[in-house]
Amino acid sequence: MSPATARQAMPISSPDSRRTEAQPAPRQKVLIRNVDFYYGAFKALKNITMPLHDRRVTAFIGPSGCGKSTLLRVLNRIYELYPGQRATGEVMVDNENILSPGLDLNLLRARIGMVFQKPTPFPMSIYDNIAFGVRLYESLPRHELDERVESALRRAALWEEVKDKLHQSGLSLSGGQQQRLCIARAVAVQPEILLLDEPASALDPISTQRIEELIAELRPDYCIAIVTHNMQQAARTSDYTAFMYLGELIEFDETERIFTRPKQKHTEDYITGRFG
Amino acid sequence: MASEHIARGYDEELRKLNNTVAEMGGLAESQLGTAIQAVMTRDTELAAHVVEGDVKVDQLERELDNLAIRLLALRQPVARDLREIFSALKIGSDLERIGDYAANVAKRSIALSQSPAVRPVYALPRMANLAQLLIKDVLDSYVQRDADKAYSVWKRDAELDEMYSSLFRELLTYMMEDPRSIGSCTHLLFMAKNIERIGDHATNIAENLYYLVNGMPLEEARPKGDTSSVEVMMPDRAPQ
Amino acid sequence: MNVYARRRIVNGAVMTLSVAATAFGVLWLVLVLWTLLENGVAAITPALFSQMTPPPGSAGGLLNAIFGSAVMTLVGTLIGTPTGILAGTFLAEYSRGSRFGEVVRFINDILLSAPSIIIGLFVYELMVVPMGHFSAWAGAVALAIIVIPVVVRTTEDMLNLVPNSLREAASALGSPKWKVIVMVSYRAAIQGMVTGVMLAVARIAGETAPLLFTALNNQFWSADLNAPMANLPVVIFQFAMSPYADWQTLAWGGALLITITVLILNIGARAIASWSTFKQ
Repeated sequence: MSPATARQAMPISSPDSRRTEAQPAPRQKVLIRNVDFYYGAFKALKNITMPLHDRRVTAFIGPSGCGKSTLLRVLNRIYELYPGQRATGEVMVDNENILSPGLDLNLLRARIGMVFQKPTPFPMSIYDNIAFGVRLYESLPRHELDERVESALRRAALWEEVKDKLHQSGLSLSGGQQQRLCIARAVAVQPEILLLDEPASALDPISTQRIEELIAELRPDYCIAIVTHNMQQAARTSDYTAFMYLGELIEFDETERIFTRPKQKHTEDYITGRFG
Repeated sequence: MASEHIARGYDEELRKLNNTVAEMGGLAESQLGTAIQAVMTRDTELAAHVVEGDVKVDQLERELDNLAIRLLALRQPVARDLREIFSALKIGSDLERIGDYAANVAKRSIALSQSPAVRPVYALPRMANLAQLLIKDVLDSYVQRDADKAYSVWKRDAELDEMYSSLFRELLTYMMEDPRSIGSCTHLLFMAKNIERIGDHATNIAENLYYLVNGMPLEEARPKGDTSSVEVMMPDRAPQ
Repeated sequence: MNVYARRRIVNGAVMTLSVAATAFGVLWLVLVLWTLLENGVAAITPALFSQMTPPPGSAGGLLNAIFGSAVMTLVGTLIGTPTGILAGTFLAEYSRGSRFGEVVRFINDILLSAPSIIIGLFVYELMVVPMGHFSAWAGAVALAIIVIPVVVRTTEDMLNLVPNSLREAASALGSPKWKVIVMVSYRAAIQGMVTGVMLAVARIAGETAPLLFTALNNQFWSADLNAPMANLPVVIFQFAMSPYADWQTLAWGGALLITITVLILNIGARAIASWSTFKQ
């Protein structure tokens, strides 16, 4: 099923439904099951099993080298671009194992979008940047494409700033704007799941807060997974947190529980800064 | 009100915190009013109602604590945000004590209404009204973040203390004149002390609000009008 | 003498040496240019561009040679550039780290520094002998073989400069690999690639040895690619070594023309490179 039709049935909710208000019971969108990952002979992920809930934000935290980015990159199989990297186990998305060998990777990646740490606008106009992904799988008439571009830019809180210069190069924007452009580009193809790999770590504090608020606004419509080395960011933005260390999942729980009374001492030591 | 956070969820959580404090305050104020009404009308059912109602106040305080802990853990507040949460926690604690005192008054009124009525009981509503006014004004000052209004509440507690001191003397005189009234008067004494303590907690709330708004504690020594602790009462002699 | 003073002296000495060496190198360049200008400017007349190469003793121009050089350079570039770009793309995008890619790169580097006379000889055996005659096609093919490794090298280098994060971002949207290359990698590297092609053209503009064996030369006007065609380098070779003053002047004029063309191409390539960094 094309990614576009998969989204048509779901209404866009208002951005006012916040974490603090009564929520419908969260549905599991993704189940990661017994996943191992190898960089050549080195085992980077060890038997990871955890869920990702729909319309919620799940954060992966842990010290450098713990495997959080690696795990994120398993979810859209972007590691397949590089020889020598492989994953075993299962990742069930809506009861379909996306790690199975025969799967069309390009269609998968149109359903599962990714935003990277470093803003990567393509060397083309802002309009073409957003339209790039859309044009891959849909042939929309011009005015529909215009609407899609506008709605994506609005979702990314960028429309007002760029609406008069859509034909300028994407490279002419500031760092925070470029990152929002990348987010707009990812939501333009109407994915079901959004993967954010340290989306704000290259940005200044105010841009970071804008990105965090953007994530809160996107939350009602996507299953979002975010990798962050900044624990406070995980505390501020996520509903569930997974703490990882040296390739293992140490603890997975609701964010409020993790940051007020974590079950594992290891987790507590990390979040209180008792080890780096 | 100051401008909003970029993260709107943060503002909503703070609003919820404020609303919980306001709700607690309103409840505590009405608990006191109902308790006094029970005393004056000698209505034991109403009094029991007030005692049960204190459960709700305690529950609200727990909610407040959870909200505050959550905000501290997840939002890393600094500056004014931090003072807001810190003050809300302390004010919640004061309001919970006020609720307890109001329930105590109600509880004692049950015993009182089974004893003969005594004249000094008519002083109680005046005290209670002032105490209610102090609670109301200090909560208004909290909602409006008005440090000056809080300061005036802080000063007016002296009046409540004086009322307590004079009631104290009156009750002791009454008891010395008529030993049969000692039971009722003792209850009244405790009730009056509870109301006086309510006033003290209201001044605590005022001090916390002052700190919230100005970032510095109120330096002056609170004017204390309660001389009861140093009163010497001798029979057959006027009070010294 | 203390350390500081000694350091200053060493610093000064090395500085002086560097400046002197630079001056020495630049001096020769300036001398070459000056000689070219001095001797060649006399030949720059409208006749140079309107008349054919003359027999000794008569006046004439270099039109057929200019035309021939232009045509063979163009055809050689048209043959060599796409081949070079595709090969460079293969090396950069498809064979990172693979053994086969390393071998190809190695061979390319050898070809890059191969003596052009050997390439001329090779094309002579390949095309001229079977065809039975010299031709402009053969000349163009020889030039193309010189263009290919240059374009392969620059294309691969420019594509390697495109950050991997850009490719990942395009792949993450579900883009098939060829689209990632064409719409993202090429667009990011386009300025460098164009510069590479311009430098390749500048290189073949002055190559003489390969043309000696393949296109030879033609005294008359010819637009027939299947026949020997006049070209500037061979004409210069022929005229400069002759005893006739007219021919020698024309040779200087030709040399000056080639030099100016190469200069324009190099400066243009540099300008494009700096304009692109300015734009970002």
